[in-house]
Amino acid sequence: MNEPANKKREYRSDSRRKLFSSSFSVICLLVSSIAIVVLTTLLISIFATGGSWLNLEFLTASHRENNPEGSGIGQAIVGSLVICLICGVVALPLGVGTAIFLEEFQPRNKFLRMFHGLVQLNINNLAGVPSIVYGILGLTAFVYMFGAFNSIRVNDQPDFEIGASYFYQTKTLGGTYVKFPAVAEIQPTFEIQNSLKATNADGESFHLNLVSTTDDPLSYQSKQSVSVIRGTQAKLSNRDGDEIYESQTVDGTLFRFPAKPTYSQFAKILEPITVTGPDGEQFELNVLSKADSIPTDDLVKSQSVFADSPDPKKRSSASIFRENSAFHMHLPFSKSVLSAGLTLALVVLPIVIIASQEAIRGVPQTLREAAFGMGATRWQVVRGAVLPSAIPGIMTGAILAMSRAVGEAAPLLAVMGGVLGTTNQLSSLMDKTPVLPVTIFKWAGDENEGFEHLSAAAIIVLLAILLLMNSVAIFIRYRYEKKLGT
Amino acid sequence: MQKTKSKLTNRMKPKLQSSKMQTNSGGTAVLDAPTPETHAIRIESFNAFYDDFQAIHNINLNIPEKQVTSFIGPSGCGKSTLLKWVNRMNDIVPIAHANGSLWVGETNVLARNTDVVDLRRQVGMVFQKANPFPKSIFDNVAYGARLHYKTSRSELHDLVEWSLKKAALWDEVKDRLKGSALGLSGGQQQRLCIARAIATGPEILLMDEPCSALDPASTSRIEDLIFELREQFTIVIVTHNMQQAARCSDRTAFFYEGKIVEEGLTEDVFTRPKEKQTEDYVTGKFG
Repeated sequence: MNEPANKKREYRSDSRRKLFSSSFSVICLLVSSIAIVVLTTLLISIFATGGSWLNLEFLTASHRENNPEGSGIGQAIVGSLVICLICGVVALPLGVGTAIFLEEFQPRNKFLRMFHGLVQLNINNLAGVPSIVYGILGLTAFVYMFGAFNSIRVNDQPDFEIGASYFYQTKTLGGTYVKFPAVAEIQPTFEIQNSLKATNADGESFHLNLVSTTDDPLSYQSKQSVSVIRGTQAKLSNRDGDEIYESQTVDGTLFRFPAKPTYSQFAKILEPITVTGPDGEQFELNVLSKADSIPTDDLVKSQSVFADSPDPKKRSSASIFRENSAFHMHLPFSKSVLSAGLTLALVVLPIVIIASQEAIRGVPQTLREAAFGMGATRWQVVRGAVLPSAIPGIMTGAILAMSRAVGEAAPLLAVMGGVLGTTNQLSSLMDKTPVLPVTIFKWAGDENEGFEHLSAAAIIVLLAILLLMNSVAIFIRYRYEKKLGT
Repeated sequence: MQKTKSKLTNRMKPKLQSSKMQTNSGGTAVLDAPTPETHAIRIESFNAFYDDFQAIHNINLNIPEKQVTSFIGPSGCGKSTLLKWVNRMNDIVPIAHANGSLWVGETNVLARNTDVVDLRRQVGMVFQKANPFPKSIFDNVAYGARLHYKTSRSELHDLVEWSLKKAALWDEVKDRLKGSALGLSGGQQQRLCIARAIATGPEILLMDEPCSALDPASTSRIEDLIFELREQFTIVIVTHNMQQAARCSDRTAFFYEGKIVEEGLTEDVFTRPKEKQTEDYVTGKFG
């Protein structure tokens, strides 16, 4: 019979096939060894550059300008861990929830199915978006909140704020600083330095004409009702719930302008008030008038202020300061640890979702059937049958996502700026903090060569942290697999 | 989609009529049965679909209480589909839908507002492949009870013991209730699944080829178990094993291409089949 399998054919050259096969495996070996050579070179050069700089002081100290020997990554390690924690707390529930929704709650309705498909498509695409793009998104969404609130500048009070207390601080004649609470009785005053839009007593709005004290009053006599002398003080007053400032023009007409927090405020001290001294002791401030002479006794001097003085430098006005509690929070979040953590959560969310989806998909359908067959509700199936089996996979994915978050620099540069060191300890979610990757980036580019070594040493620490996290992931996977098995 | 459906029904019309006549004759057989009991499951003009594909064509069937009814037939004939509709397990399959009437006791199964959770509590299910949860033996059996009832610890323990005894597994596992269920053999796992199913207190047990993955010794144990359980439960069993159907069921329904060809007392179906197709199948000439 002429069957195809029995037909006489010429054999392909055996030796050539085998030669190709063996040379192919050699090529594969070469290609993979290139990767290993590159990695080893990298590690060796990093250890050579930074290994000797690695000591306990380096791990605990914070950055010092122009002083590589005294600088360290203490703050950066804490900052990285805090941001990673925020990222995990936000990204994990969201990611696992989305994965459960996508895998376990597949709808029968046609439109909902389209919605499902759309979400899935989005997540798959988002996983490939460069992290700097997330950085810009975080900048708009968390740092500025789409401009929905007044933007926050230094020492200004934001629209919405909790956990912050304000106090005034002034310098006594003796040169010590005293504090007193920013309470309503002390009227904050406002010094007019720039010309601004105001409303007069008849409700007409006009532009104020600013004049200096040295100007000749006769030259602007005709404009006196629209002029103020630079440095004129305004009083804060409440009108129909709106806070506005009031002041007088040169000819005595009253005018008003909105009390925006962007103006710097001063409290003018006119009567004795109880204040707190530098050592925390409380005493009554001795208020002198401009006619009084400066006291000679040191103690009296350190407890005295001028109520008013012709010399602007001696004028005792107090500026406002803020003290933050641990749960300090304001809107928008501005450049802060919270913004950074939320942005990183956006970066790793697709990774967490996809890893969780894979883990949930790996749960055998028979387990779901068993639970459904016994009358479990959809939630009971998810909670009792699906999640326990999917948890190792989800945890592994989550930790790998976190280790990606720890190493991200670009979105943090966008959201927090290149913070190297802060004078204050990280006390609330609204503070800025240095983080490891940004520190490495900034140090590597520093003009002072010593910082290059520090950068390498910081890389070693970062690699060690990543290695630790990945081994935890492997350990969890191993332990749960053992537990779920026989 | 509607177009294709009407096309299908038109094409099926002559066949449908013949199948109706057959089931009617089956219906009379039920009336002639020696113990005319109430029906646990009543199925009338039932059609089931996967998207456009019609898996079950206009089935009429009554399943009596406290008896074992077996569904036999070649693969893809719709017997598992029908079984899964009885406790609405097909809800998990997004493309599955059905029409007609299907009643379990006083419950209209296909009605939109039927409480599926309650239905599945009444109608337990055992699957082709033993599917214990990766938990302890005790937790497996207690799973259903924990889902539905508030029970004390001692009550739960009594329930687990009762269920395992009913499933003829108690003596083998009583010393390792806290051990993983996955450590049991295949036959033990399947009996554990039966214990788990009866622990929720169902009236009906559906078994989808429960012995197809087991060795002959385990199969025979499960068959004995089915025989004992029918005193308390209405059992519907899907099987490819003709001997098994003959051995342990009171009534048999023969499915072919989504229709019931013949239904009646097992004895009659196997020894005096009315239809040529049934005879060919039970004697092993096809399928």
